Formats: sequence, C-alpha cells, structure tokens
Amino acid sequence: MTPKAWGRVAFVAFVALLAQVGVLDQIVVLGAHPDVMVVLAGAAGAVGGPSRGAMIGFVLGLVADLVVPTTYGLSSLTFVLVGFAAGLVRSLPGDRDGRSVQVATCVAASAVGTLLYALLGALLGQSVSLGQQVVYAILVVTVGAVVLGVVASGVMRWALRGADRGEPGHPVPSGGSATR
Amino acid sequence: MASAARRGSQRVTLLMLVLASVTVLTLDYHGEVSRGISHVRRGVLDALAPVQRALAAGLHPVGDVAAGAFHYGALVTENGRLRAQLGAVQAQLAENHFAVSRAEGILSLEGISFVQNIATTPAQVISSPTSNFAYTMEIDRGTASGVAPRMPVVSGRGLAGTVVDSGTSTAVVRLVTDNQSSIGVTFGTGARASSAIAVGQGVGQPIAVDEIAGRTPHDGETLYTSGTDGGAYPAGIPLAVVTSVRTSAGGLTTTVTARPLVDLAALEYVAVLEWLPQP
Repeated sequence: MTPKAWGRVAFVAFVALLAQVGVLDQIVVLGAHPDVMVVLAGAAGAVGGPSRGAMIGFVLGLVADLVVPTTYGLSSLTFVLVGFAAGLVRSLPGDRDGRSVQVATCVAASAVGTLLYALLGALLGQSVSLGQQVVYAILVVTVGAVVLGVVASGVMRWALRGADRGEPGHPVPSGGSATR
Repeated sequence: MASAARRGSQRVTLLMLVLASVTVLTLDYHGEVSRGISHVRRGVLDALAPVQRALAAGLHPVGDVAAGAFHYGALVTENGRLRAQLGAVQAQLAENHFAVSRAEGILSLEGISFVQNIATTPAQVISSPTSNFAYTMEIDRGTASGVAPRMPVVSGRGLAGTVVDSGTSTAVVRLVTDNQSSIGVTFGTGARASSAIAVGQGVGQPIAVDEIAGRTPHDGETLYTSGTDGGAYPAGIPLAVVTSVRTSAGGLTTTVTARPLVDLAALEYVAVLEWLPQP
C-alpha cells in the first residue's frame, strides 16, 4: 500500500472514531450500540483482500481501543481476524467485487467480529458475560452494519484507490491480495 | 504457483499481525506500559470531550423538536405560515423543556441526604458506554475538578458507579451493572440487618445478590452500601431494590436479584463524591 493510501485509511479511522463516540455510542438499543469500527474492518477485507483487511483491521483496532475501557489490543486482534476473513470472501468464485457482495460481507463480518470480541474478551477475563447481552450486541451491530456497510465499503474503496503503485486508476487489485 | 505464493504471503501477514496484537495485549498487562497506554487514552478522551459535550447538549432539543414536528405534519402542509409559527413555538418549548430537565437534573443533586457531609462534584454525563461489553459512561469532570479513580458516583436516587479512570477534564465511570462491579451491601435494620455482595451482570440485567449473610431479603427491600467491603464505598448509599427471590425446588439455593435505583440509561447529571477508600 502506498503512503497516500495509508494516509486516507488514517483519515477514515479518525473520522470513524469521532462518529462512533459522538453519535453512534448515543444510539443505544437493547443496551447495545452500532459499531462502525468493526464494519470498517470487514469493509477493508471485502474491498482490499485478506492481507490488507488484516493490516487495516489492526490499525482500526488500535484506534478503537483508545476509547473503550477493555484491554488494549483486544479490538486489534479481533479486527485482524475479521479483516482477513472478510478478505477471503474475495477469493471465492463469482462476482467477488460486486458492491452488494461487499456490503453483505461487511454485515457478516460485523456479526462474527462482535461474537469473536465477546469470546476473546471472556477468555481474557474482561467484563463480558456470554449471555443474552452478547446476542443483543450482535443483533444491534449487525442491523447497524446493514446501513453502515454501504458507507463503509464506499469509503474503503476510496481509501484503497490506487493503493498499489502503478495502478492509479484501479480501485483495488483483483485476486484478493494486498501483497504482490 | 503465484497463487500459492500469494496465499503463503497472506498467511505470514496474518500470523505477524496476530502476534503483534497479542504483544499489544500482553503489554497492557505490564505495569509501566499499561500506565503509558492509560495516559494516551486519557489524552484522547480529553481531546474528544468537546465534541461529545456539543453533541450531548445538541441532541436533546433537536430530538424533541423532531418528535413534536411529526405530530403537526398535516397542518404543515395546509398552512406555511402556521408551520413556521408552530415550528418556532415548538423549538422554544423543546428548549424550555430541555432547560427545565437540565435544571431538575442539577437540582436533584443538591442536598442528597445519603451523602451526609461528604463534598460532591456535580458532573454531566457526556457519553454512553463506548463498548458493547464494558458498562461505563464518561463525565465532564476530571482531575482538574478533583475527580480521581475509585471515587463513588451517585445521582439523586442512589449509587451509579465508581470512577475508574480520570483525565484532566473527563473521567470514566464504571456502572454498578458492569460485570466487574462487586459491592458490599446491607439490608434491614437492627437485629434483622444482614449483608451480601451485589454483583453486576451487564446493562439491562438485574444485579445479582450473592453471599448473603443472615436472612434472605424480601421483594421490594432496599439494598444499601455496607461500607465494609474493604471500605470501597461510604456506608448507607441506596443501591438497588430487590425484585426477585427464588428458592430452588430442594430449598438448597436461593437466587436474589435486584434492580438499580438509578436509571442508568437515562442519566444526565451525577455527583462525584469526593471520598476515597481508606488504604
């Protein structure tokens, strides 16, 4: 990825963090709120492929963990796995780069990411009870991801445009890999 | 061939990033690094505080106006002039409602009987829980106002939580419903006084009452901080009211749950008790 692309990713992460703490954290349904950071990690994988998804997920996780009171690095670990898994969808046969596929991947990645976060949190002794609240959180994050996924995948396409040198006009490399 | 190499490269990238994440996780358990991370987190929360304050103040009247305007939709289409007038009146009403609500919130913190002679610092809640799995809120007072970790936080109805982190102008409060919240409580008076531990089970969930020493509390009985659990809270702060007492078929175990007296989902103003546990 070019420094310019990384700059755009950093900008996206910063704006997403502002949106999360300023707006989304206030939209509480069933005790949970939508989570744009996990959606972006899924979008990074869906748009950029497994390696980029994992790398951007790592950065997004570090940023997200700045404002949550859980162990630092928990979101990074979760988002690395989410970004990578979402990127693997691009290696499946069919219309891998279709926008609806990318949004659907974001939504699925958000649900899996929330469950994974809860499981890893419980494993690390965080204040996570694997009960009804996890189900509510997955539900709210997933429903939120339906809306946020459209924006997130569009934003990631912009951020990763020309991410590889010599491909200025191509949004992302085909084949699902960030590393050539 | 190229595809296999690419897959190999992807796996190496994943492995490296997982290791990096685990390293960061491990570092957060290390004393000095953990303090450094906390310092950075406080800085970020302080930097974001103005945005959160602005949104917290702005969202209430806007929401009220939007709700009010919805009911007058038919009139709006009939008469533009009336729409403008109604809109202005509604906006004024919403602002007044917000001001009254705000004043009531602040006034409710005045003369709270259960804090006795402990000094308090009033604060506004500027953020709901930032994580779906850790039940905290952020307030607009920090070390500059004398707010420090481990200070109890109350509203006019009872205990809301404890300060767990404090920046210059903001602080993070762990709510009594958080899974890591464990509070020594007492109920009843005189010979009927008993004690227990109130344990949070997550937002929206009742508080579990465990390790009951003495008689079992009854429905509707109020739980107060006992002040004896290592002195983490002053004694006598109302915490919750018992909502369910269930005894198993064999009568061997009794499950008691309670509802927090403070409506944690609707908290706007709180008071931080300038009181620290005894070392």
